[in-house]
Amino acid sequence: MGVPKVATVWFEGCAGCHMSFLDLDEDLVSILSKIELTFSPITDFKDYAFPELDVGIIEGGIGNEEHLELAQKLRKHCKILVAWGDCAVFGGVNTLRNWIPKAEVLRRGYVETESTVNVNGVIPIHEELPPLLDKVLPVNQVVAVDVHVPGCPPSPEVLAYSLVSILQGRTPILPNEMLHFD
Amino acid sequence: MEKKVKLVIDEKEIIVDEGTTVLDAARQSGITIPTLCHHPALSSWGGCRMCTVEVDGAPRLVASCVMPVREGMEVVTTNERILESRRTVLEFLFAERNHNCMFCPQSGDCELQKLAYELGMDHLTVSFSFNAFPTDVTSDYLIIDHNRCILCGRCVRACAEIAGTYVLNFHNRGPKNLVGLDLHESRQESTCYSCGACLQVCPTGAIYNRYRTHYAVKGHRKDWKPVESLCPQCGLLCPTTSHVHDNTVIKIEGKLQGNGDRPDRGQLCYKGRFEALKSDGKRLVRPMVREKDGTWKEAKWKTALALIAERLTAIGGDHGGNALFGLASAGLSNEELLFFKDLMTTGFSAGRVGSLDGDPFQGVSKAWEIKGEPLKEASWKMIPQSDFMVLLGANPYQTQPVLSTLVRRSIFERHIPVAVLGEMDCLPLFAAFHFPVKGEKLALLIKAFRADVEARAKKSSRKNQKSPQGRGKGADISSLLKGAGLPKAAQQAFVEMVEAFVKARHPLLLVGEAVTGLKNPSAFQDAVSLAQSKGPLAGNVLKLIVLKPYGNSAGAWKLGLSSNGNGKAKVQPKGGLLFLSHQKDLDSRAMAGLGKLDFLGVISPYFPESLARKAHVVIPKPLGMEAAGSYTSLDGRETGVMRKILDPPEGVKDSWETLNALADQIGFRHKFKTWDELSKKAVEATKSRRSAK
Repeated sequence: MGVPKVATVWFEGCAGCHMSFLDLDEDLVSILSKIELTFSPITDFKDYAFPELDVGIIEGGIGNEEHLELAQKLRKHCKILVAWGDCAVFGGVNTLRNWIPKAEVLRRGYVETESTVNVNGVIPIHEELPPLLDKVLPVNQVVAVDVHVPGCPPSPEVLAYSLVSILQGRTPILPNEMLHFD
Repeated sequence: MEKKVKLVIDEKEIIVDEGTTVLDAARQSGITIPTLCHHPALSSWGGCRMCTVEVDGAPRLVASCVMPVREGMEVVTTNERILESRRTVLEFLFAERNHNCMFCPQSGDCELQKLAYELGMDHLTVSFSFNAFPTDVTSDYLIIDHNRCILCGRCVRACAEIAGTYVLNFHNRGPKNLVGLDLHESRQESTCYSCGACLQVCPTGAIYNRYRTHYAVKGHRKDWKPVESLCPQCGLLCPTTSHVHDNTVIKIEGKLQGNGDRPDRGQLCYKGRFEALKSDGKRLVRPMVREKDGTWKEAKWKTALALIAERLTAIGGDHGGNALFGLASAGLSNEELLFFKDLMTTGFSAGRVGSLDGDPFQGVSKAWEIKGEPLKEASWKMIPQSDFMVLLGANPYQTQPVLSTLVRRSIFERHIPVAVLGEMDCLPLFAAFHFPVKGEKLALLIKAFRADVEARAKKSSRKNQKSPQGRGKGADISSLLKGAGLPKAAQQAFVEMVEAFVKARHPLLLVGEAVTGLKNPSAFQDAVSLAQSKGPLAGNVLKLIVLKPYGNSAGAWKLGLSSNGNGKAKVQPKGGLLFLSHQKDLDSRAMAGLGKLDFLGVISPYFPESLARKAHVVIPKPLGMEAAGSYTSLDGRETGVMRKILDPPEGVKDSWETLNALADQIGFRHKFKTWDELSKKAVEATKSRRSAK
């Protein structure tokens, strides 16, 4: 293959995994020289035209319909799909809302939060706003995932290890000492 | 000798005793099998299926923790099929409830998580249930979060087998199965003793400590340093392992295994496991002197110590040694107590050196004096041998909590009747007899008890001599019972109790501060007579245990720190007192004893707020955990050495240094050249029988 095309997306999560990736510092330069980073929260390219990709990376759980659609598209267009972090792998901290009815979650978020002034109690509904799913799900509950990298966040070393392995043509299985759920 | 069995585990030939489980056989020969519901200190359950192995190539895997070895058995502990089975079990455990490591305080110290790492579980192939489970936060000490529970039942077994309290059990069935307390009570309303045995054996974060939960404090498990020590808080000297990180104790655990001849099965209590982790607020780190205008100012060590020496010497010079007092907490180590006593009596020629538990001590020593016989208290370890227990004004849950569970265990496991005379928190629910009276009424009740027992003894001896029975004593007893305020119904129970006591062969009396602390020493003397009526144990040991109020009361009493402290000693209008304290503050009772003083010096780990207007100089000292020292057990039979677990705050000098500096100030050459020598002398002094006052 030529220069592998890599895309990353950020779903229901805190961006901590992307931050951890940026934490690779100078190693990031050598990794970026080996790949073509297409759309990503890092590049801020909003081009979701989906050329054929080699590696798709998902951070965050599947929390709304946009996440669901993007995950399915990404799966269709990339050879290897990677789940980054506990949210993408297990659902993570977001799953706390899975115990609570959706209407209550929206009310809490849009009306009741301490920093919000929403006298009329309006819950925004618009065609451009993707509706929330009833439950946040791990990525592998909606599409097949090839590589799981758990951790909250996974350390930069673990992210580099998994990405470099993929670039070398292997499907990485994290060694036990690299596994972390916190 | 036990029969041996030969078997093969992972192609290794192993010979073990018959009856050993496959798991133990494997562990004995260094083969690891992962476990979850199994705990070496508890009975095997075989519930989690994590330890499954292949036996003789059979298609069905067996749980090695409950599988006994058999001659010629061939065991395989690891192959792809077994690993697959374990991983599947693990995935189900994770999927069933809400195991979110990233916000669990137990992360890094969790057996479930560790197994997931070991088995390489990087994701789940099954879907999560996402069901919500309740969380019980009603306890001051521990939190029960059912979302993290894997229903391994370790806590249920620990509650029964270690604590003997039988509070925890399984409620409901199937997916609604929960570990619960009593009959669906919350922790607060249950009969839980907060011993924390469940917490110590919990493999996940389902039961966790209220203290030290934050990552910022806990750090990584691998950086923790375990320190073997003992708990000096009540005199039972329970062996402990304190896990220390960054000069902070993260958790304190009991020794569930290798606990010697102790009947407590490695249990700790709410004091030793939880209270010890509580922060008592800001520590005193510099000596302070009260200025003329009443404000407190920091002072140099030398200045503060010189001031104490100067003032005490001046008062002693003007008014004689009888105007000088030394007062020590009975929670201090034997070394501190001995050195302090020597410095005060010989160095400063102080008239009296006492401890905060002066009242109970006086009551007890008076009784020994009157009896005039070389009698010894029974050891608390004799509780499991007794067949009837009488608690006289004792509240072991407050004073010696582990002892209260020993009593409760005797009720549940050996069906021993227990009589409670006096007010108490915990046991009455399970006691055969309970008479909640206090003060002088309690004294009268004990007097009636003694009179009735003696009258019966006389009656039976008269019966033997075939002489007419006397009835005079009976009337006396009923008037005593009336005086004790016992209603008619309770009087019947009283008679039953006396009968049970007379019948019992190895009764044990547990006497607490509500009796020993009474102004009138006769109640305790009656208790001693009651114990004597049942004859002594070998070596003139009375069937009686005195529950002492402080951690090292037994040591203080043996060292003869007795005379003062609870408001009895008349502090002269002119007087000086030096107080060596181990606690945060003085209770009002001890405060009353201080009266009006010309000079009050305090050496304490905390600034004594209640003495802010009375004291003149305060000097910091380390906490018990921050210094080594020996402590005497409740029954006075053993000496336990507490290791230094933490470093004191910067700038705080230990008692050895402070007391030495004070001795130097007055040019007193004490007889202890080194700390080790002091230690040796302290052990000798506390070993001798009830030393002279």
